[in-house]
Amino acid sequence: MSNTNASIEQQIISLLVSYLAPRWESDPQARTEITGATNLTSDLTLDSFQVMEFLMEIEDALDLAIDMNSLSDVHTVSDLAALVASRLNA
Amino acid sequence: MALLDKFQAVASVRAGLNTSAHDPTRVLIDTILSATEGIVEGRRTILAGTNNYLGLTFDPACVAAGQSALASQGSGTTGSRMANGSYATHASLEQELAEFYGMPYGMVFSTGYAANLGTLAALLTQGDAVLLDADAHASLYDGCRMSGAEIFRFKHNDVVSLEKRLQRLGKRVENCLIVTEGLYSVLGDCAPLRQIVEVAQRFGAKLLVDEAHSLGVYGEHGRGVAEVEGVLDRVDFVVGTFSKSLGAMGGFCVSPHPELKLFRYVSRPFIFTASSSPSIIATTREALRQLRARPQLRQTLWRNARQLYQGLQSIDYTLGPEVSPVVAVRIGEKEAALECWNRLLELGIYVNLMIPPASPDSFSYLRCSVSAAHTTAQIDTILEAFQQLRNS
Repeated sequence: MSNTNASIEQQIISLLVSYLAPRWESDPQARTEITGATNLTSDLTLDSFQVMEFLMEIEDALDLAIDMNSLSDVHTVSDLAALVASRLNA
Repeated sequence: MALLDKFQAVASVRAGLNTSAHDPTRVLIDTILSATEGIVEGRRTILAGTNNYLGLTFDPACVAAGQSALASQGSGTTGSRMANGSYATHASLEQELAEFYGMPYGMVFSTGYAANLGTLAALLTQGDAVLLDADAHASLYDGCRMSGAEIFRFKHNDVVSLEKRLQRLGKRVENCLIVTEGLYSVLGDCAPLRQIVEVAQRFGAKLLVDEAHSLGVYGEHGRGVAEVEGVLDRVDFVVGTFSKSLGAMGGFCVSPHPELKLFRYVSRPFIFTASSSPSIIATTREALRQLRARPQLRQTLWRNARQLYQGLQSIDYTLGPEVSPVVAVRIGEKEAALECWNRLLELGIYVNLMIPPASPDSFSYLRCSVSAAHTTAQIDTILEAFQQLRNS
């Protein structure tokens, strides 16, 4: 992984922590460490709509356009970082 | 994973719903009695979740029109609109809908779902971009997916979020369609269509509005939220359904663009399905006439909507953001909502249960839809049932 990808991954993890904060506040046991290998649906229990909601958060935070179609290959935080990197470098 | 293994996950979700006395996905109306009542599990039940906004399903003129067409034109067309399934009555309905909206072109589909699928799949293709409201109906998502266009979501009813995404598209905006609804079907809130039209025109994007839940409900003439907002003449495509206010089945698209006439040659959901039976079309045409001739239906509908909304407010329920014929009662957790839904059914009230991810946020809702055919006494009975929930 390039440094750029590592930096993007860190940004995504920070955004995920903010996105999940309300849920973790009401359910502290759901809090978990997030790494590149964290699976968005099985580890963080995000449903498909929540993943799409979070994608909008990333688009606004990084001011870029990511189409929903690209999400079909995204399972982990690293997958998402790679997708974002591809759009930033396009 | 073997072919059928995926259904284990479905079975697990279903088992979660089976923990209560009644399964909200398997309600059977043993006998339908009227637009607002049926027999469910042996009980006379008020139907408050049927989208039958104008209450026309048992209207004598609509029923007679359907019976007459059934007798004179047969039970079905047995073919596609592109082959033997186009009757004069289909073309007449297309003209009547276009005229109703003040647009030159209209197209009728066999279901509302097919209308959205068929319109979007014809209109968009690979390389196009579509900006879709985050709370848009599944049929709109599916139509966009079927088209192969790139799909970008904007935050629900958020014009700033829409504008940001249009800016990010740059020159691609000329190949961009914005997709929104008039009245949103879960929370009963309306799109800010005047602002959306202004943004769409400023960027040069086209706009499609789904008025499925607002046809016959909003506007002086019942044309929907775009009529209320005074922007109907600036919308590129209006889609909708016959299965709500019109009490029948089918869907449509109307447009000022002559290209709509060509959609039928490329819209697979239009081409590869049988056309609606003549009796359905006759019922729909009569319902459209009733909608136009009887504005008092809308007045009664709104009186009932206000009675239910204000009544629920007065017993401290958290509701959707505005008064509308869709009244969403926020319950919170899925388990509590399921319990409340069961209790209401046992009290003789049928409403819709909306739980995540079908609800637009993390809450669960009891969704009521009001009809012009509901009596004041029936709305009172619904309110009394909700009051009993509060007390228990």
